[in-house]
Amino acid sequence: MFDVYRTYWRINLLTTLEYRANFLLWFGFTFVYHGSAVAALWIMLNNFPSMQGWDFRDMAFLYGLWMVAHALNATFFSTVDQIPEWIHDGEFDRFLVRPLDALYQVITTPGQVFPDELLLALAFLTVATIAGHLAVTPLFIVLVALVVAGGALIDLSINLLISTAAFWFVQVDALRWIALQLEQEFTRYPLTIYSRGVRLLLAFVIPFGFMNFFPATYFLHKTSNGLGLPTAIGALTPLIGIVFLAVAYTFWRAGLQRYQGVGH
Amino acid sequence: MLEAYVQFALKAIAREATYRFEVFTSIASLAVRVYLLRVVWVALYAHNAAPQGVALHTIITYSTIALLMGLVLDIDQTRLLHDKLHDGSIVVDFMKPISVPLYFFSDGTGEVLFHAALIVPSLALAAFIVHIDIPSAAVLAAFALSFFLGYFVGFFLNFILNCIAFWTLEISAVQLIVTWVTDLLGGQIVPLVFFPAALQGAIFALPFAAMYSTPLLIYVGRIPPEGYASAMGLQALWIVILGAAAALIWRAGARRVIVQGG
Repeated sequence: MFDVYRTYWRINLLTTLEYRANFLLWFGFTFVYHGSAVAALWIMLNNFPSMQGWDFRDMAFLYGLWMVAHALNATFFSTVDQIPEWIHDGEFDRFLVRPLDALYQVITTPGQVFPDELLLALAFLTVATIAGHLAVTPLFIVLVALVVAGGALIDLSINLLISTAAFWFVQVDALRWIALQLEQEFTRYPLTIYSRGVRLLLAFVIPFGFMNFFPATYFLHKTSNGLGLPTAIGALTPLIGIVFLAVAYTFWRAGLQRYQGVGH
Repeated sequence: MLEAYVQFALKAIAREATYRFEVFTSIASLAVRVYLLRVVWVALYAHNAAPQGVALHTIITYSTIALLMGLVLDIDQTRLLHDKLHDGSIVVDFMKPISVPLYFFSDGTGEVLFHAALIVPSLALAAFIVHIDIPSAAVLAAFALSFFLGYFVGFFLNFILNCIAFWTLEISAVQLIVTWVTDLLGGQIVPLVFFPAALQGAIFALPFAAMYSTPLLIYVGRIPPEGYASAMGLQALWIVILGAAAALIWRAGARRVIVQGG
């Protein structure tokens, strides 16, 4: 099982080295994409003292937490996005006749994955942490690591839920697009700016709030998280990630069962 | 002769209309983004009256109109050129008794007209979420003209990018980079008047500002009527520069195709 995984990464990295110019262009894109988001935040907060008590340094840390969690998911589980396409083309069937779990096979299908975005995200979070004068203790490092891992699981779960919907509906691109947009834009600002309904939605229905906002309120010692709950709930991200993944995986198994039932 | 090009445009409209799901998502996503821009600016203005003399209702109007303009300006209307270079079918177009660049222009116009029509339902939906200031008819007319000029700046920019496919086939990363740069430096996300003063001179002179910022600043009255001539003059200048560049690149690229064809 681990052999498969090692071979998978070997192929990924070799493929990336093969298409060097292309890789550089995509890295340029990743850089500009995150760079323009952070630049926009910086320009906004240059003209205003803060957004509900969050200044640019706080917002940069908020963005950094999301960026690392998102990049972790994009680096290790990016192929989950391709499930609908494989179901559509009939390629998915080959996963069902091999003696390995179907989802594991999906995750280890080689592509052109390189941990460039992850490295960029880690660098950004480090800078944001130092600039934000956060006390970097061993406990802080362990907690941040657990939080971004939990955040990556939340991200993965959303993707898996959407991909699983493809067992029922042929077209899920639009759904994924909306979910991705909600995630990218709504995680950028403190949750306290939204109306109560939206806050609850982002906390417990689609728990994007646990990817960065709740942990950030905890790490930055903010007084309120907009839900009237203790800010320590921010440390629950790993747990939320596991629970949410369990929900997504159950749904995935149900979809798989149904798919076999149809007898493709 | 002109009739052929009208037909190309009509065909493009019909093609776009078949993507019903995409139409639904682009309107739904716009509504979500209008909600988001409202809460973000309201939260920022809570502790600051009017930085750079821009009032809250002005910035909300500005950002909403910017999103609606995006329905048209974010379209890569010459994508067909890239696709046809990719699969080689452009060779057939060169054999037809038509002007190939004009063909791409008509096709792109049809695509854009279809998306421009989506502004109407989107605007109606946005009006439920935010209050949009409506300027006088004269200002609206100036805005429309400036938006029209901005559209051509975007058209030539896209055309040039798609022409790169004559030399190298993989250009999607470059296009995405340009899209993000356009949104930021064009003033779609944050008005350029909020940018650091030292950078403003350079940013206002770039073609991206000619796409979004100029029409938007006319709409909200930041560019007064006496400034219309110079603002639109700069837009026109960009159209001439980018149009000339597009013509040169097209000619060089088209020659390549013919050389390869033997």
